[in-house]
Amino acid sequence: MLVDSPAVDRLVEAFRRLPGIGKRSAERLALHVLSAPADLAAGLSHAIEDARRRVKRCSVCRNLTEDDPCRVCADDRRDHRTICVVEAPAGAMAIERGGAYRGVYFVLHGVISPLEGVGPDELGIDALVKRVEEEGIEEVIVATNATVEGESTAMYLSRQLTPLGARVSRIAHGVPMGGGLEFADDVTLGHALQGRTTL
Amino acid sequence: MSMTCNGFRGLAPTEFRPGPGVNVIRGGNAQGKTSLLEALLYLVTSKSHRTNSEADLMQYGQRGFQIRAAFQRNDREVRIEANWWDNAKRFKVNDVAQTRISDILGKVHLVFFSPEDVDLVRGSAAQRRRFLDMEISQIAPAYLHALQQYRQALRQRNELLRRPPVDPVQLDVWDAQLAAHGETVQAERDGFVNQLNTWAADVYSRIADGEPLRLRYRPDIRAGATFTDVLRNARGSDLRQGVTTRGPHRDEVEIEVAERDARRFGSQGQQRTAALALKFAELELIRARCDEYPLLLLDDVLSELDADRSQRMFGALNGAVQVILTTTDLTDHDGLYGADCTFFRIQEGRLDTD
Repeated sequence: MLVDSPAVDRLVEAFRRLPGIGKRSAERLALHVLSAPADLAAGLSHAIEDARRRVKRCSVCRNLTEDDPCRVCADDRRDHRTICVVEAPAGAMAIERGGAYRGVYFVLHGVISPLEGVGPDELGIDALVKRVEEEGIEEVIVATNATVEGESTAMYLSRQLTPLGARVSRIAHGVPMGGGLEFADDVTLGHALQGRTTL
Repeated sequence: MSMTCNGFRGLAPTEFRPGPGVNVIRGGNAQGKTSLLEALLYLVTSKSHRTNSEADLMQYGQRGFQIRAAFQRNDREVRIEANWWDNAKRFKVNDVAQTRISDILGKVHLVFFSPEDVDLVRGSAAQRRRFLDMEISQIAPAYLHALQQYRQALRQRNELLRRPPVDPVQLDVWDAQLAAHGETVQAERDGFVNQLNTWAADVYSRIADGEPLRLRYRPDIRAGATFTDVLRNARGSDLRQGVTTRGPHRDEVEIEVAERDARRFGSQGQQRTAALALKFAELELIRARCDEYPLLLLDDVLSELDADRSQRMFGALNGAVQVILTTTDLTDHDGLYGADCTFFRIQEGRLDTD
C-alpha cells in the first residue's frame, strides 16, 4: 500500500468488495476520498447510510423502493395482470427506461444456482406462485439473462406457473436494434438466425 | 517466415530464417532444439507445451524475454511480437497491442507434434476429449459456447445432486440444459471425428505401408437415444453417486489400428504413428478451412519411427507444407528429407545454418 495506515488498508478493502472495482481502482478511490475536502467523505458515507436505511424491498415485487408497495406496484394505471420477472433491480430499471412496458415486475435478486447455494426459496418464487394463484395473472414474461442459470430459472418458473393457468413467455435474444450485424458476436448471430421470423 | 528471440530459455539472441519445405534443426541433447520450436509455439498460441509459467521460459538471470516473427499468410504479412517483462505478458499483431491475449489465436496456424503426443492414443479418454475440444473450438465458435454452457450446467447439476433432498423439478431443468447444449457438442464431435478419420486413415496407411487406421466417435449417449430419457433413466444412480454419470463428458474416441484398439493392443510404433497421423490430419483440416497449410513443427519425431516409416512420412507430406523438425541425428541421410530442404545446427543455444 502507498500509505502506511491500517485505516487506509481497510478503506481499500471496503471498496474492493464493490462490483467492478479491482485493486488499482480501489486504491485510487481511497486516495481520492482522503485527499479531497473532508465533506466529500462525510457526504459519501451519509448518502450511503441514508439510502441504505430508507430503501427496502417492495413487499409485492421485491424491487428496491422507499415506499411499500413501490411506485410501480401502487400505480393502478399499469397492467397488474402481466408480470415481468427480472434477475436484479437493474433489469427492471432498463425495461422502465424503454417506456414500452406497462405491466408490473417481480425481482428475483439472483438466479437458481446450486453452486452458490441459491434455490427457489432464496429467490422468493413461492411469493410469485402465490400472486399468480390469487391475482388472476394472465402472463408472466421471464426476462432473466441468457446464461445457463438464467435459462434454468426461466424453465423452472415455467414448470411452476404454467399449471396455474398463466401464460409463461421468454424474452427474445438476438441482434441489437440499430446495430450492424458485423458487431454481433458469432453465438448471438447464430441464436438470432435460429429465432428468425417469417415476413 | 522469420523469427528473432531474446532471453528465451537457453537460446542465445537468435535470428531464424527457415526456408520453404523441410527445415532440419540438428543438435545434441539439451542444446536448445525444442526451445526454438517452443518459442514459435508460444508466439502463435501464447502458451507453451511444457509449462504454464512464463517465468520458466525466461533465461536465467534475465527479467524478461521477447519473441518476434513475420509470417506470410495467404500473401499477407502477419507480424507477431510477444513480450514478457516484469511478470507482464504483452502481445502485438502488426504493431497493434492485443488487449485480449486470446485474440491472437487463429492469426497464424501451426501444428505441433512432440513425443508426448503419443498420449493422445495411449492415454485416457479425457486426453482425447481435450484434443477434440481444442480443435473443434478453433473451427466452430458455436462449439466452444455450447461446451462452456454444458460444463456449467454439469457443475450446477452435480452440486444439486450432492445436497439431498434433491428437488426433482430442479433436476429436470438442469437435464434440459444439458440436453440442449450436449446435443450440439455431440453433433459437432461426430462431424469432426468423421472428417478427421478420412484424413488420418489416409496418412496412417501411407506411413504404415498399407496398414489401416480408423477413428470412431463413441458418444456416451448413443445416436438415436433421447438425451433427456437417458438422464432420467440414470437418475437413480446419479442420486446414489452424487454425480452426473451420463453425457458427453464421458465420450470416447476409439482409435483402431489393424482392426484392433490401438490404446490397448497397439505397439509403440503403431501408437506413435497413429498420434502423428492425427496431427497430419489436422494439417488438412486447417487447410480445408483457411485455404492454406499451417506451419508444421515436429519435435524429435525421427527417434520415434524406424527408417522406412520416416521415409514414408516425408513422402506423405504435401510439398506445400513448411516444416521445422528437430533431430539429434547428425548424419546426412541421402534424400530422406526431400529435395526442398534446409539444414541448421544448434549448439549451446547458438543457431547456425549448416
